[in-house]
Amino acid sequence: MNTFLAALFSGTSRGAIFALVALGLVIVWRGAGIVNFAQMGQAMFSTYIASTLIINGNSYWVGFIVALLSGAVLGSLIDIFVMRPLSNKKKTELLSSESMRAAVPVLASLGILGVLQALAGIIWAAEERGFPAPAKQEGFTVAGNAMPFTAFDLFVIGSVAVTLILTTLFFKKTSMGLAMRATALNQEVAKLSGIRTNLTRTLSWAISGAASSLAGLLLTPSSNLSPNTLDLALLIGFTAAVVGGLDSPAGAVLGGFIIGMVISFVTFYDTPEDVFLAILAVLLLALIIRPRGLLGSKDVRRV
Amino acid sequence: MLKIENLVTSFGSVVALDGVSLSAQEAKITTVIGANGAGKSTLLRTISGLEHPSSGTITWQGESIVGRRPEDIVRMGIAHVPEGHAVISELSVEENITMGSLFRRRKFKADVPAATDEMYTLFPRLKERRKQLAGTLSGGERQMLAISRALVSRPKLLLLDEPSLGLAPLVVEQIIDSVNILCRTTGLTVLLVEQNANTALGVADHGVLLALGKVVADRPAAELKADATLRAAYLGY
Repeated sequence: MNTFLAALFSGTSRGAIFALVALGLVIVWRGAGIVNFAQMGQAMFSTYIASTLIINGNSYWVGFIVALLSGAVLGSLIDIFVMRPLSNKKKTELLSSESMRAAVPVLASLGILGVLQALAGIIWAAEERGFPAPAKQEGFTVAGNAMPFTAFDLFVIGSVAVTLILTTLFFKKTSMGLAMRATALNQEVAKLSGIRTNLTRTLSWAISGAASSLAGLLLTPSSNLSPNTLDLALLIGFTAAVVGGLDSPAGAVLGGFIIGMVISFVTFYDTPEDVFLAILAVLLLALIIRPRGLLGSKDVRRV
Repeated sequence: MLKIENLVTSFGSVVALDGVSLSAQEAKITTVIGANGAGKSTLLRTISGLEHPSSGTITWQGESIVGRRPEDIVRMGIAHVPEGHAVISELSVEENITMGSLFRRRKFKADVPAATDEMYTLFPRLKERRKQLAGTLSGGERQMLAISRALVSRPKLLLLDEPSLGLAPLVVEQIIDSVNILCRTTGLTVLLVEQNANTALGVADHGVLLALGKVVADRPAAELKADATLRAAYLGY
C-alpha cells in the first residue's frame, strides 16, 4: 500500500513537470506549426543561467525568476531570428513541396538544440553540476513514519498548477489570448481580422520558453545539470503531447500526467531500467490506437 | 475609391491575373463575375494583401497599398471576406466577431461594443447563437458570421468573395439584401465577386466580367446583364 501511494505521488509530481514540457511543445505547435526539438535545450540554457546566479551568491528566487525570463527571451529570439525568416515564402520557394517547407523549421530547431548544447559546454564546461531545490527533498515524517512525498514534490505540483491556471486564464479571458488562439486555428482569417500574427507567434515562443524553463528548474534538482540532462525530458514530453493530442493544451496536460504515472509505476514496481522502454511502448501504442491523441482534433496536420 | 491598374499576379508559371484594370466607386456595389478560374478570388486576395502582385498598382483613397501586410490593409478600412464562409469553427460566434474588432479596441474603445451590437441587429440569428461554436452553425449563418467578422472593423470597402457558394437561394437573397442595404444606407463600398452572375448583376451598380485573368467587359451592371452575347460566350447560359 505504501509503495502504491509513493508511486502515485511521485507520478503526480513527475507528471506535472512533463505536463509542462508537453504544454510548451503544444503551444509552439499550435502557434507556429513547428515541433520544437530545441525546447529543452532552451530550458537547459536558462537553468545554467540560474545556476550561475545562485552559485555567485544570489538567492534561489533570483535565479528562478531570471531563468523564466531568459526562457521567454530565448524563445522569442529563436522565433524572430531563425523561424520567421525560414517561414518567409519567398526565401523558401526553391523547396518545391509544402511538406518540405514544413520540415525546414523543424530541422532548424534540431540545429538550434545542437548549438545551445555546444555553447553550454563551452561556457559552463560539460561536467555535471548540482542544482538546488527550493524545498526539502526528503520525505515528511508523520508519527515516526517516512511519508512517500516531499516538500519539493508539493512545490512542483503547486507551481505547475499555478502555471496551468494562469495560461488557461490568459488564453480564455484576454484579448491577446483570443488573438493567439485565432492565429493558431486559422492564420489567414486572423491576419484578415487585423491580428499581427508575427507578434502572436513570437509570444507563443516566449510562453513556451518560459514554461519549459520552469520544467528545467523543476527537473534538475533530482538529475543534476549538464548540457544533455534534459534530452530525455524532451522525448518524454513529446510522448505526452502525442498521447494527449499535439494540438490540445488540455490533452498535453493529461498526457503529461499519464506518462508521469507510467514512469513512476514502472520505477516502483519494476526497475528504473525499463522506464525508457515503457515510454517508447506508450508512444507506439498511442500512435497505433489513437494517432490524433486523446483530446486531439480530428484533422491534425501530418508532421 | 479603389483603383487597380495593370495588375499581374502569378503562382509559379500560372498567371492568375493578367493585367487587370478596374475601379470600385464609393458607396456603390461593383461586381466581378466570371467562370471558375477566371481569377476573381485572386483579385480580392491581392487587394487584401494575401497575395503579392508581380506588377501593377492598387490605389485606395489615393494611397498605394501594394506590398502592405493584410493586417495593415484592414486597418486602412478594407475588409475581406474570403471564399468558403471563412470563420474559425473552434471559436464561439461571439469570439469570431470580437476577433474582427481586436485591433480597434484601444483607439475606438467606446465604439467596439456598439459595432458588435450592430452586427447582432443586422443578423439576429447570430445573437441567439452567441455562445455556440461557429462550427455548429448552418452554412448561411456561417456566411453571416464571416461578413460580421469583417464588418465589425467598420470598413469603408468590403471585399466579398462568393457569398452565395453552397447556400440555398433564399439565404443568398437575405445575405445579398443585407449587404445592399448597408451600402445604400452607410455608404459602404462593396466589391462583390460572384459566379452567380444573375444575382450579382441584379444588385450591383457596375459589373466587370473577368475571363482567364483578363477584363473582357467593364460596364453598368444593367447593361452587362442584358448582353446575351457576352453571357453566352463567357458564362455559358
